Amino acid sequence: MENLSETKISKLKRGFLLLAGSLFVCLLPLWTGQYYMQVFTIAFYYVVLASSWNLIAGYTGQFSLAHHAFAAIGGYTSALLVTRSGFPIWMGMFAALLSSTLMGFILGVLCLRMRAIYLAIATWAFAESVRIFISMTYKLTRGDLGLAVPKVFLGTGRAVACYYLFLGLATVTVLLLIIINRSKMGYYLRAIRDDEMVARVMGIHTTRWKIFSFIISSGIAGIAGAFYGHYNGLLTPVMVDFSEMALIVIMVVIGGIRTAAGPIIGAIFIEILTETFRGFGEIRMVVFALAVIAIARLYNEGAVGTVRQFSRWIARRKQPRGDVT
Amino acid sequence: MDSTLISQYIISGIVIGLIYSLMAMGITFIYGIMRIINWSMGEFYMIGGYLQYIIITQFLGVKQWYIGVILSMVGVFLLGMVVQWLLIKPMFEGTVGRRAEYATIVTIALGVLFTNVAVIGAGPFIYSPPGYYHNTQIMTLPVSGTRFIAFIGTVVLLSLFYLFLKKTWWGRAFQGAAQNRMGIQTAGIDVFRLDQIAFGIGVALAAAAGALLAPEFYLHPRCGSIATMKGFEIIVIAGLGSIPGVLLAGLLLGLIESLGSVFLNPSFRDVYGFLFLLAILAIKPTGMFEERERVA
Amino acid sequence: MEKQVNSLLQIENLAKDFGKLRAVDNLSLGLDEGEIRGLIGPNGSGKTTLINLISGVYKPTSGGVYFLGRRIDRLAPERITQEGIMRTFQVARLFGDMTVLENMLIPAFTQGMSRRQSSQRAKELLDFSLLSRMSNEPARNLSGGQGMLLQIVRGFMRHPLRLYLLDEPFAGVHPVIKDVMIETIQKMNREEGVTFLIVSHELTTIRRLCSRISVLHAGQLISEGTMKEVANDPRVIDSYLGG
Repeated sequence: MENLSETKISKLKRGFLLLAGSLFVCLLPLWTGQYYMQVFTIAFYYVVLASSWNLIAGYTGQFSLAHHAFAAIGGYTSALLVTRSGFPIWMGMFAALLSSTLMGFILGVLCLRMRAIYLAIATWAFAESVRIFISMTYKLTRGDLGLAVPKVFLGTGRAVACYYLFLGLATVTVLLLIIINRSKMGYYLRAIRDDEMVARVMGIHTTRWKIFSFIISSGIAGIAGAFYGHYNGLLTPVMVDFSEMALIVIMVVIGGIRTAAGPIIGAIFIEILTETFRGFGEIRMVVFALAVIAIARLYNEGAVGTVRQFSRWIARRKQPRGDVT
Repeated sequence: MDSTLISQYIISGIVIGLIYSLMAMGITFIYGIMRIINWSMGEFYMIGGYLQYIIITQFLGVKQWYIGVILSMVGVFLLGMVVQWLLIKPMFEGTVGRRAEYATIVTIALGVLFTNVAVIGAGPFIYSPPGYYHNTQIMTLPVSGTRFIAFIGTVVLLSLFYLFLKKTWWGRAFQGAAQNRMGIQTAGIDVFRLDQIAFGIGVALAAAAGALLAPEFYLHPRCGSIATMKGFEIIVIAGLGSIPGVLLAGLLLGLIESLGSVFLNPSFRDVYGFLFLLAILAIKPTGMFEERERVA
Repeated sequence: MEKQVNSLLQIENLAKDFGKLRAVDNLSLGLDEGEIRGLIGPNGSGKTTLINLISGVYKPTSGGVYFLGRRIDRLAPERITQEGIMRTFQVARLFGDMTVLENMLIPAFTQGMSRRQSSQRAKELLDFSLLSRMSNEPARNLSGGQGMLLQIVRGFMRHPLRLYLLDEPFAGVHPVIKDVMIETIQKMNREEGVTFLIVSHELTTIRRLCSRISVLHAGQLISEGTMKEVANDPRVIDSYLGG
């Protein structure tokens, strides 16, 4: 165990890293061109998806496989309202929030009494239904051809504006999730994951909190999807393909499930590697998949967990012998 | 619409439904023994198909497609055992909670792994193995040769599987393990061995479906995802753990898709099955023929 | 001497069936406020089922459970906890990935206690039960006995705690830890008036702790009284010998 000064030092280290990281992302547009700004913009989109999925799957233990579907629901809702009903974009986004939250609520209620296995299958089925629905109702959504979406921020400087927009979204999301995790709700969710019956016996209204976590995570995903649509200018059913969900899972596991920094690190890391190694698309996925399997198999906690283990190991090495009781 | 036409569509639905069942059978069998869901079943289907293709085109020739199917099954069976031993078994030893979460993460990653290895190994091309049989007909319904073969092959495999479960010692051991895992252990049976073999059998069934359907649905690295989709649709409808339920659900799905395409819009074929699935989820989320809660 | 008894818990003709198995059979039992009651009986006599019925984990097939005159048997477990009823499990069921301290905080949080209050009470209890040095350890790192102790102490976070149901708290526990448990139980009973219903096979410990004992057999209450009375009851001797 670390003694007091060690804890202070590690807190300082973390604070420093946080500061350095924040400065880096805030000032990025100053020294990179459009290409990297776009890469990071998409990375921030995934940070939002990964973090919000971590809330429901990592912390609450409801391993939903429908997260990408909420992004799609949000995205398409906003896109359709704006293109077909002439809504302003901000109203479209609000509608996206409403629709994805509502669907999240419905799915959450359906899945209340389901054990882990059934929950995975039910959420999978929900996501596939959404995908098929979007594909099939091509009169409305243009199906596989893709739906053109009015872009937010037109003109020069668009890349920078979108970069900061998504950075802001990611920051707000992460902060919100950190607040939740540190609050009483955070305790309740983690307790639900560890042992739901005991949680009830301890007085936790598990139904309430499970649905709540569904609503929050799906709402966030919905907004992210809407942002994505208005950024990208195009939405296709591919965004609700199972491979997108697999990607979210991979990002969170590699980064470190059940940590605040894990989804951030995982999303950014994987997205950057994806872009850098565009030519070697499949090999990179093979590497990621192997990494996930190794991490899961060795009960490692991803990047964040490894860093923590490492610093604990270092701290232990530094302690004088005979200090350990 | 006259009755012969309807009966033709019914038959067509039954044919395709039964074939879907083969996929789902593997999923539910593995679940029954190990209580985990293998999300990479579709990829084992794909591997089975690719193996079959290689065997037929490089070694045996089309005439002996059935040997190819058997060999593919054996190959995937062995692969399955290795995967189980490396990845799944550790979950059951020691104090690991949250099997479901672990199994989901690992099998999803496995699926991604296999798909991308396939792209690297075989390229993103579509392979089309030669057909196994000439076109023929079941009663009055004209049926493609491949589909006919697939149907016959599925019937044979499912019958063999049934006999295996009911009549052999191993089969009864599996049934026992599905009902009472701890009880089986006290009877002196090595459950871990059963697990390994069950996993192998389960994925071999998926591989068989892949091998049988390769000429019909073509081969490409992502062909597994469609198989997964159909397989899990059946699982949701049938509920987990009931083998006859899978059969019935498969037939039901085939019929719904077929009749839906006939009476309504054929381009929404996949939708009908999913609408039915959503209805089941809403009414009886654990499926139509769900197993009873296992004790111990 | 006639004492004014305040009936805290009243169980009336309670029955629970699992399919064809009748685990609890027409059971009636009363607990007075401030008692430490022992609940003994051979394996399979329905003791844990009874605890589950009182705490809301099971719903009775028939009959009722009344707490301070109010019927509680159809309530959800979390609602029953609000009444001031806590319970432990035969196996130490903790929130394994959460720290010992966090485990302690949960029952206080659900009561609406502030963080400061909760932490303070938690620290006091952990100190008293000699678990404080494990405060920031994940609960799954505790030994079996420590885990059982934590389970028990966790329940005391609830304030006021009216009724505490302990299911085999002493089983396989190190004697030192057992002593801490016993001290804690007695202290809570003395200082905060907590009523206890303790299921156990350890008759010496029961004799030490409990003023009255209820004996179950095959889901039925076959005897009730002081340890001496119960030990000499032929029905009890029969059930333990007859099996």
